[in-house]
Amino acid sequence: MSSSVIELSQIEKEYPGVKPLDKVDFAVQPGEIHALLGENGAGKSTLIRVMGGAVKPNSGAITYLGKRVSWQSPKAARAAGIHVIHQELALFPELSVAENILVDAQPRGRFGLISNRARHARAAEILAQLGVRIPTHARIDELPLADQQMVEIAKALVGKVRLLILDEPTAVIAGHEVDLLFENMRRLRNEGVGIVYVSHRLEEIFEIADRVTILKDGQVVGTAPVGEISREEMITKMVGRRLSQIYPARRAAPADGPDILSVRNLRTGPRVRDVSLSVKAGEIVGVAGMVGSGRTEVAEAIFGARAVEGGVIEFDGKPFPGRVPKDAIAGGLGFLTENRKDEGLFLGLPISANIMAPDLQGITKYGLIDRSRECALAERQIHDFSVATPSPDVKVGNLSGGNQQKVLFSRWSRIANRLLILDEPTRGVDIGAKVEIYRIVRRLADSGVGVLMISSELPEIVGLSDRVFVMAQGRVVGEVEGEALGEEAIMDLAVRSIERHKATAEEIA
Amino acid sequence: MSAIAMEIRRNRLVMSYLIVAMLLVVLVVAGGFLSDRFLTWRNVGNLFQQLIVLGMVSLGQTFVVLMGGIDLAIGSLVSALTVFLANFLEWRPDLVWLALPLALVAATAVGALNGLLTVVLRVHSLIVTLGMSSIIFGATLMYRKEPGGSVPRAFADVAYAKIAGIPVSAIILVAIFALAGLWLQRTRSGRSIYFVGGDREAARLNGLPVDRIVVLAYALSGLCAGIAAIFLTARTGVGDPRIGVALTLQSVTPVVVGGTILAGGRGGVLGTFLGVLLVTMLNNLLNFVNVSSYYQWVIQGLIIIIAVGIHTSRRR
Repeated sequence: MSSSVIELSQIEKEYPGVKPLDKVDFAVQPGEIHALLGENGAGKSTLIRVMGGAVKPNSGAITYLGKRVSWQSPKAARAAGIHVIHQELALFPELSVAENILVDAQPRGRFGLISNRARHARAAEILAQLGVRIPTHARIDELPLADQQMVEIAKALVGKVRLLILDEPTAVIAGHEVDLLFENMRRLRNEGVGIVYVSHRLEEIFEIADRVTILKDGQVVGTAPVGEISREEMITKMVGRRLSQIYPARRAAPADGPDILSVRNLRTGPRVRDVSLSVKAGEIVGVAGMVGSGRTEVAEAIFGARAVEGGVIEFDGKPFPGRVPKDAIAGGLGFLTENRKDEGLFLGLPISANIMAPDLQGITKYGLIDRSRECALAERQIHDFSVATPSPDVKVGNLSGGNQQKVLFSRWSRIANRLLILDEPTRGVDIGAKVEIYRIVRRLADSGVGVLMISSELPEIVGLSDRVFVMAQGRVVGEVEGEALGEEAIMDLAVRSIERHKATAEEIA
Repeated sequence: MSAIAMEIRRNRLVMSYLIVAMLLVVLVVAGGFLSDRFLTWRNVGNLFQQLIVLGMVSLGQTFVVLMGGIDLAIGSLVSALTVFLANFLEWRPDLVWLALPLALVAATAVGALNGLLTVVLRVHSLIVTLGMSSIIFGATLMYRKEPGGSVPRAFADVAYAKIAGIPVSAIILVAIFALAGLWLQRTRSGRSIYFVGGDREAARLNGLPVDRIVVLAYALSGLCAGIAAIFLTARTGVGDPRIGVALTLQSVTPVVVGGTILAGGRGGVLGTFLGVLLVTMLNNLLNFVNVSSYYQWVIQGLIIIIAVGIHTSRRR
């Protein structure tokens, strides 16, 4: 196929001890959205880096626009029209939109100085091309994440882009922001740009992609037009085994007994206006809603990590006395934060220290930490939660995302014997690990712990929760349970309230 | 591969220690060839006698760096304390028993104040301690512009005392480092230094008393500066308002050379101890082969950059 935008053949990449790419063939046609699917560690990011010039393959050939190439640097690939948008956006938060868009093409005016006016005009032109309205003078850190992503895409349009590579762009956005992104992807596709789209979310692949290539252990295990492959087949290929059941069975009967946690009319921070919800022992309660609806802030307030400005948080029917995480932990609460690298784990420290961090007094004898007891306890957790590691002394930073998440479960399940709060518990972990995490969560609930689970992935909310609270714009706008519990019912509640809110806002205006 | 070799490969910290230890061996061997006086008992004794001042300030710096900060007030604090001690002891030589605890308490208090200011104002420790350093330096100069004061003979002897041929100060230094190592590895507060340095927000969400740990690290750094000042005063016999000027940056050298990373959360006191040995021996050797102190500065700078370069390239 000489018409391909890019064609990789027999690409191999080897590092000491690992082979992230093993004889990979991959091609993208102009005007095609080609999804790249695979578990973490399957080789997706290495493949992206090879195409973008950040990694040189050990062997194999790259043909770009009909010519054999060997990128010397990412810059060379970019100059040739390949643009990679990484999950972590490469923007300067304190500079303006225009400065960011034209970061390596600042228009010169008189005397070779950068012309401010030309810069804003050019940036506005590019944004108009994308059909988005973002003020070019705004600072990046004033923009919502979705707009920041649009700025990143706008950067790609400064030169002539022939191949656009998007690495999990929907990890940080939701709802209509995703729609806007997809709309722009289609627009670029129709202009003949080849697009590589990396995502964990199968639903999105069916919605947007024309073709899908599945990677497993550095090898291509399948390429097919999206219409000719089923969801089941994709999962089976990706995981290498059949996942008869992704979600464990729900509770047989609704949980009875008193509420462990009861939140009434909570108000905190700039976003949370009015939140009421409850959790009983042994049940998994989901919290659904768009990113930015204030879900994380609610979790932080319950855990004592954020000041409560109004309303009541009751624990076992009594007002929660603690105002800092320490008190919450002493009361049997645990909190798996959304951002495990910055707010959960100590990446440079061993697994054992990470597991025991909130319970140092539990392993201290005569004022000294009892190392053998620490290791024994940690090893038991590692075994119980099947963390893949040769030893509890391994640094957490060296583990895969799924295993890091299991370390957090190991940590909190030891001490959170009343209520466990999960914020995006499967973000960035592969589907095999997801299934394991779902089983862990259900197991914990079955042992009598109440679970409050925040998630942006509706299938997960629907598949795992016994009850679901839907949040929108800082309020709980509805509760769904039993037969009614489904993706549509939840979306309906979330969207309807946003529309109502908009209508009221317009009336006031 | 043997189990030990595996362990070393996995544990980068141990590897850092080995690198510094190897540099030390190279230095000793080179020293033996370059100067026939370098490896004499006399010189080794002298060398170990000199360790304590740099050793103590570097230990204090290690605590703060591990916790994720930096203490730039160490040098000024040491200067101020030597001035205080020498002048106080000139006035009342009989009150040594009072002067020493007073100096230590004051040093710890200044350190704790540094910590409190970073916690309360949420200003970067670089700024707070830089400001504090300037304040202390200025205040000391207002009181005494020139070196002065004196110390009683018995106190001066402390700096040179030996037990079985080994300098007492070196014994004290090793004991303090051993205690510090035990504290960091095996106690709740010590372990928490690593947690806070590794990730402050994660530490908070794990219920650890972050603010207290921050203050504790600075207070310990102050205390270490106090001990350093006592031995420095005993050795020089005077209080010099400028004696510590170079000490602040010198205190960072052994820390980073020993593999503790400036971002915090990784490293340890053994590395710092090896770093102190390396720097002290190097300067000692350069003295023997008649290299001027200007070159010593240059070489010390090279060592910092090269050692840290080696450590980081291993982390990639």
